[in-house]
Amino acid sequence: MTAHAVATRGLTKRYGRDTALDRVDLQVPDGAVFVLIGANGAGKSTTFRLLMNLERPDEGAAEILGLDTASRGPEARAQVGYVPERLDHSYGWMTCARLLQHVSTYYAAWDFGYADHLSKTFALRLDRRVGTLSKGESRRLQLVLALAHRPPVLLLDEPTDGLDLAMRTRALSLLAEHLADTPATVLMSTHQIHEVDGLADHMGVLRDGRLVAQMSRDEIQRTVRRYRAEVPELWQAPPDLQAGGVRSSTRREMQWTLIGDERAVVERLTQAGALVREVSAMTLEAAALALLTQDVTR
Amino acid sequence: MMQASLHPTPQARRVLAEQVRAVALALRWPFIVASALLGAATVLLTIGLLGADAPIDFRPELSMLPGMVGLLLPIAVWHGEARFGASLLWTLPVDRRWHALAKVGAGWVWLMALVALFVIWLLALTLLSGGTVLAEEMLRVLPAALAPVGLPPAAGSLDPAALQTVRWAPTPLLWLVPFTGATGAYVLASAVPLGVRQPVRWIAGTLLVLFFIFTAGDLTKAAWVARALPGIEPLYFGRYGFDALLTARTESLKTIATLSTGETVSVWRGVPDLGHWAIATLLWTSAGLIALWAAASRHRERR
Repeated sequence: MTAHAVATRGLTKRYGRDTALDRVDLQVPDGAVFVLIGANGAGKSTTFRLLMNLERPDEGAAEILGLDTASRGPEARAQVGYVPERLDHSYGWMTCARLLQHVSTYYAAWDFGYADHLSKTFALRLDRRVGTLSKGESRRLQLVLALAHRPPVLLLDEPTDGLDLAMRTRALSLLAEHLADTPATVLMSTHQIHEVDGLADHMGVLRDGRLVAQMSRDEIQRTVRRYRAEVPELWQAPPDLQAGGVRSSTRREMQWTLIGDERAVVERLTQAGALVREVSAMTLEAAALALLTQDVTR
Repeated sequence: MMQASLHPTPQARRVLAEQVRAVALALRWPFIVASALLGAATVLLTIGLLGADAPIDFRPELSMLPGMVGLLLPIAVWHGEARFGASLLWTLPVDRRWHALAKVGAGWVWLMALVALFVIWLLALTLLSGGTVLAEEMLRVLPAALAPVGLPPAAGSLDPAALQTVRWAPTPLLWLVPFTGATGAYVLASAVPLGVRQPVRWIAGTLLVLFFIFTAGDLTKAAWVARALPGIEPLYFGRYGFDALLTARTESLKTIATLSTGETVSVWRGVPDLGHWAIATLLWTSAGLIALWAAASRHRERR
């Protein structure tokens, strides 16, 4: 598993009868910006908590930079800048400046100048008490805490949640600057895929606790395509093409989002009696939506 | 290949030092309030001394205050810390159980400083009032048969001739009592916020349940209640009870009795025994450390 900066093997987590994660084999290449998407409750935050060793998996294992997150938890966490999904209400009595100083003790690589720069960019008032911060300000503080020690791995669980539009843009451009400055692997979950379109180079899709797809952006662009084809009247799609097909109501026309080599897919459709009229590449967001909603066939 | 540029985990010494600093900040307000109270107490005592012309004798073991502070301090140490869930404390690159214990240890450092201040304050007050330090005393001691622990002797039943007079010289070892008492109480009490999500609910719930059980037992005249109460008493008043930890039994052994002559005097049920204090300290502190370890283990690394 060490070929990947973040990797899980058969990671399974159950809460009573509910399976939050089901045999997830996540592989985040070194240096990648991997966006993990999924509906609410799909298992994204559970994945992050397991990677931080905040919970024990029922089965499977996870590694960060080759360090087993269970047996070498502290070492693994030393490599990570983590922004949790939920805001942490600890240390409400501390000022932001004191909290930064407090956390800096734990990271030998803490960059004080960079922490100042980040705080200024995020317009954080360091003399304010943590407990008095708004949701957006708390999120900005979390981002500073995660980035200021220039970790080789960033685990960002919906990092822009709670930020206003201007601050989201600033946060994402700052993240891009950070990555240009400090090579790091990013595993990020978000519902705002269009926002990370310029950053993401890999995508994983969690559906009901199962990792149904993980691929590079190139692979997505190369293999996830929308096909529009004309079909004869009363035409029945072959079983392997039934899922994900959308029949046009006005014409004898169908549309599919299919994963696979374009030439092979066109050949399959042609052999099935359809006349392919158009093949179009998809944006990351459209591909994500298709993968999320099962509107896709391999 | 990847492990060549790994970031190191922090040194234990650095973490502990930072916890001591952070806990000091957390204790700032309780410390200010305590200082104000101590100042007010000094003023009141000084006024009292000027009027009464009675010196204060320095008896560190007599005060339960350090023990009480030890019981309450964990609330301040863990105040504002999300102890359960994905809180910042547990996401830091330190073994979690060790981290929890480091925080408890940092609180203990300040507790000892507070107790030392208190002892010095008492000592200063004693010397300024012209009192004596660890002065020899003549204790009036009840005969064993008349000294059931926890209850004062029946009023007017005590023959003055039955009282024994014992010379007692407190040893300097008793200076340790405020420190050991506060330590034992602190480790025991620290296990509560660290081990349970809702400590206030647990404590209030336990007290309520006990209250209802004993009230119901009392109302229904259940015999087991009468048997259970004396069984519980030794936990506090007994030879190795909690009072032995906090005050070397100088509180529970001392009582007021009305003699058959009508005179009300201060009497002792026995002479404080350093051996009992040492064993009680060992037992209660060990129990506290075990409870603390179990509580901290709730936050251990998920291996």
